[in-house]
Amino acid sequence: MIELIQRRRGLIAGIIAIILFGMWASTQYEPRVLASILLSGLTLGALYFLVTSGLSLIFGLMDVLNFAHGTLFMIGAYIGFTLYANPRLLLNTLPFGLALVAGWILARWLPANSLPSGHRRPLWVAAVLVGLFAIWNFELAPLATTALSSGGRVPTEQAQAPTPIFIARALGLAVAGVIAGAAFLAGREHTRRPERRDLIVPIILLALALLIAPLRLTLEEWLLSLDSNTRFLLALLIGAGGGAALGGLMEWSLIRPLYSRPIYQVLVTLGLVFVGTELVKGVWGPGGYFMELPAWFSQRGPNCPSPNLIAWLQDNCASIDVLGRPFPSYRIFIIALGILMFVGIAVLLRYTRLGMIIRAGVQDGEMVQALGINVRRVFTLVFALGAGLAALGGVAAAPFLGISPGLGQEFQLQAFIAVVIGGMGSFTGAAIGSLLVGLARAFGDQIVLTGIQLPWMSEAMTFSPSIARASTVLIMALVLLLRPAGLFGKKE
Amino acid sequence: MRERLKSSQWAGLGLIGGLVIFPFVIALLTGQPVDAGVPKFWQGMLIQVFILAVFAMSYDILMGYTGILSFGHALFFGTGAYTVGILLKHAGWDLGAALLAVIVIALVQSLIIGLLSLRVSGVYFAMVTLAFAQMAFLLAEATDFRQWTGAEDGLQSIPVPAWISPTNERLRFYYVTLGFTIVMYLLARQVVNSPTGKVMMAIRDNETRAKVLGYHALTFKLIAITVSGIMAALAGAFNALWNLNANPAVLGVGTTINALLMTIIGGVGSLIGPMLGAGVIQLLGYWLNVFFGPSWPLLFGIIYILIVLFLPYGIIGTWRLRGASWMALWRKRLQELRARL
Repeated sequence: MIELIQRRRGLIAGIIAIILFGMWASTQYEPRVLASILLSGLTLGALYFLVTSGLSLIFGLMDVLNFAHGTLFMIGAYIGFTLYANPRLLLNTLPFGLALVAGWILARWLPANSLPSGHRRPLWVAAVLVGLFAIWNFELAPLATTALSSGGRVPTEQAQAPTPIFIARALGLAVAGVIAGAAFLAGREHTRRPERRDLIVPIILLALALLIAPLRLTLEEWLLSLDSNTRFLLALLIGAGGGAALGGLMEWSLIRPLYSRPIYQVLVTLGLVFVGTELVKGVWGPGGYFMELPAWFSQRGPNCPSPNLIAWLQDNCASIDVLGRPFPSYRIFIIALGILMFVGIAVLLRYTRLGMIIRAGVQDGEMVQALGINVRRVFTLVFALGAGLAALGGVAAAPFLGISPGLGQEFQLQAFIAVVIGGMGSFTGAAIGSLLVGLARAFGDQIVLTGIQLPWMSEAMTFSPSIARASTVLIMALVLLLRPAGLFGKKE
Repeated sequence: MRERLKSSQWAGLGLIGGLVIFPFVIALLTGQPVDAGVPKFWQGMLIQVFILAVFAMSYDILMGYTGILSFGHALFFGTGAYTVGILLKHAGWDLGAALLAVIVIALVQSLIIGLLSLRVSGVYFAMVTLAFAQMAFLLAEATDFRQWTGAEDGLQSIPVPAWISPTNERLRFYYVTLGFTIVMYLLARQVVNSPTGKVMMAIRDNETRAKVLGYHALTFKLIAITVSGIMAALAGAFNALWNLNANPAVLGVGTTINALLMTIIGGVGSLIGPMLGAGVIQLLGYWLNVFFGPSWPLLFGIIYILIVLFLPYGIIGTWRLRGASWMALWRKRLQELRARL
């Protein structure tokens, strides 16, 4: 019993703190106010959890602290929102990406193994030059901004460009991909000889690229004619998928070469924060956007707000009645999404082979490698998974918080605080930390509304939301003083 | 004491001399008066380089000499800027007292941040310091303190004493910042070469061993943070005097990245390296801005990533690694050339 208490003291301390805080809060607020504060806290906590879970998994497994996780969150939001509001940008860039990747894979059929490694640098330069030539004067910013601000009614030059030019650009990128692939393989021994069935993937990719190219405008119209719910689900999927692809690419290209220099990995991710933010500003503009809620969460009518969740399933009201106060139904969806992801990851970690490898890798990565498991591939997978979770969080947060280039940094800060509170590398810790920070933020926002009145004050003291946001750092400082490794972290 | 100066010391003295006569050289070359036009512009350019050089150097005392990776260095820089701004503008202090207050506040602040953050190490430290800096950033933006900090707009038109005004007395400001930079460099060199500095380096190389030898690692790390914090705060104060304002951006992540960039480009673990890096970054930023307009921060970020990937030791570090062999190669070529002639 005592041993159990000692082992679980982080959990117990957390529970006691929550109970004490709950008792204070219940004397301060009436139950229905308290209920909506708690639900708001859960909403924020669920979003923070989507960021911290990936952060924590990545750190636990490969000791890389990804400072760009918030940026992935933000980029996920932008990708999802673009698909939801106007997919022109995505449809006009997707063929390029597909062609590039197809070319890269096709390079394996070149007799590249015979190329000496000295040819590597000129080949890289050639690949970059060909690639730049292929996309010369193809501007992304008008594709994104005019399409989004006009709801797709105003045509943009790039989207209207004749199909042959577009296809020529895509093929040019495919050639760039081939050269880059050759540069990558030059002087490399021990590459597996490609077989005929390996051709299937690049051919499909290239075919898709060539197929989308003439159908860009039709596809755009078709996607926009779908109902908002389907588009919303697609946005969640594509946003998360795009984020995962970006994360995987990032690990493979920038993090992997630096495993021998851990500090520099962190420096690279910090640089990516800068590059990602500037890139988003360049493509989507420095201003923010507002994403409309899908029909499931935006109905208004005589029955609204829905009296309970089951009634909401039929009338899809924008808000649900919680103890006599309306609460936005979309936030309930975010909470559900958070819980779903928590359970999903827990199941993945506990019951699958990949999860077993991840858990083993957190314990002792070298041993796992010694047992003959390709740890590098698992690293890339987990990085992609974490990035995908963050991006999913970004899409989910978009209708609720709005989209702006600064979105990532704000979430990064709160996610870091949550991770420090919960303990690095611990999945449960990430969840509890996110929950605590989310609740703290919700209470902070409430106090901003009403002000705080201590017994000796004649009138309530009020302050701005910035202070409420900054105050979570104080919780972090407290946890650092009492338990530097976090509530669930291992002692260093 | 008639000691012969080493070649590097001659180079240093030559550099200082060059910087002292620099405004007049430019004035001669362009034929414009020294306090107007092009010479004035280039004085301003170098003033910014000097300020950033001190900031980068202070960062390197932490990162290069003590092995502490901080992502919250903007906190010290920004606090210095805001302190001097608020004291001059709202409290009406004179400049000397305000700078003294900057030192005291930076001392207290770095001790508090150090004691809290040093409970964790490695990347955790980076994360925690980033959180503290972001807190300061949010507080600077908070509307509650608008009458003192000016919220999002920042502190505008700080009343800098007339004798050192960066607009009217540019040349004097130039020499004052040059002197400030030289003093800071000499101080930093004193710290780094002292026994304390040696212990810092021992901690960087192998903390456990330093502890086993009986050094209290926390104390030395705290000394490093304090020295570094005070230097950064003074640099921030000069930055506020130069720009005549202090806005929340000086507390933002961008400022920290800037320090990192200058330190890495110049070379980690040397005092000259970061100063050189400051010069490179300032001039590169200026040219990129001229040629590429608004998309230059993006290019800047890409260059930063490429440098981290391919040139991890920076200019000074790469020179130290390869310099000897390059020099030998050149000497050989020269000899061949002479033989042929």
